[in-house]
Amino acid sequence: MKLYRIGDITNLTGLSADTLRYYEKIGLLPRVSRSVSGIRQYEERDISRLRFIQRAQKMNFSLAEIGDLLKMRENPQHARDEVRQLASDKLAEVEERVNELDTLRKELQLLLNLCRASEDGCPIIEKIDSK
Amino acid sequence: MSIKVEVFSSPGCSKCGHAKEALRKLVDELGEDQIDWREVNILDELDYAVELGVLSTPAIAINGELVFSGLPSVRKLCAALENRPGIEARRDQA
Repeated sequence: MKLYRIGDITNLTGLSADTLRYYEKIGLLPRVSRSVSGIRQYEERDISRLRFIQRAQKMNFSLAEIGDLLKMRENPQHARDEVRQLASDKLAEVEERVNELDTLRKELQLLLNLCRASEDGCPIIEKIDSK
Repeated sequence: MSIKVEVFSSPGCSKCGHAKEALRKLVDELGEDQIDWREVNILDELDYAVELGVLSTPAIAINGELVFSGLPSVRKLCAALENRPGIEARRDQA
């Protein structure tokens, strides 16, 4: 099993060492194992957990919400009703955001296509200028 | 009941004029009372264009459904319109 030091994790995730220690302190990460000399040794599952936290933070979930969702992530079959409801609500938020992003993606694709095809001027500039 | 046709165009689109011209010919042929058409400047109705799935111009929607992404031939446009129930009924009567 590959083990990672805290510096490796900061490189992989972009999170600072202080943040990693804080997540461990408040329980978002379970206690990270230590080497004989006391150095933190992270595992792949810790990285996966940190990626989940980062994605959830991008969706503006609070750390408390993320903590609840992580508990469900560990043991989805036995999640409490309120955590299931939280996950369901968050799923709805994610789906709404996905739809918004999909619309934005199509809009940008359309504008870029028009720009490429245009013989005189770029519609994107005209659109921006008109606002 | 007339068929609603929308031609999506954009500034600088050289083929959009051809699409409108093709449609005008068909309107003349089939009758103005059968086809209710309008030109949609994509930049004015970007949300609507995206909703229909328009990715380039010209594009043509029939009854709110994107049917042509690109410039169709007059024959293909005619066939698409003639497949609509309103047009068939009218022609059967004639």
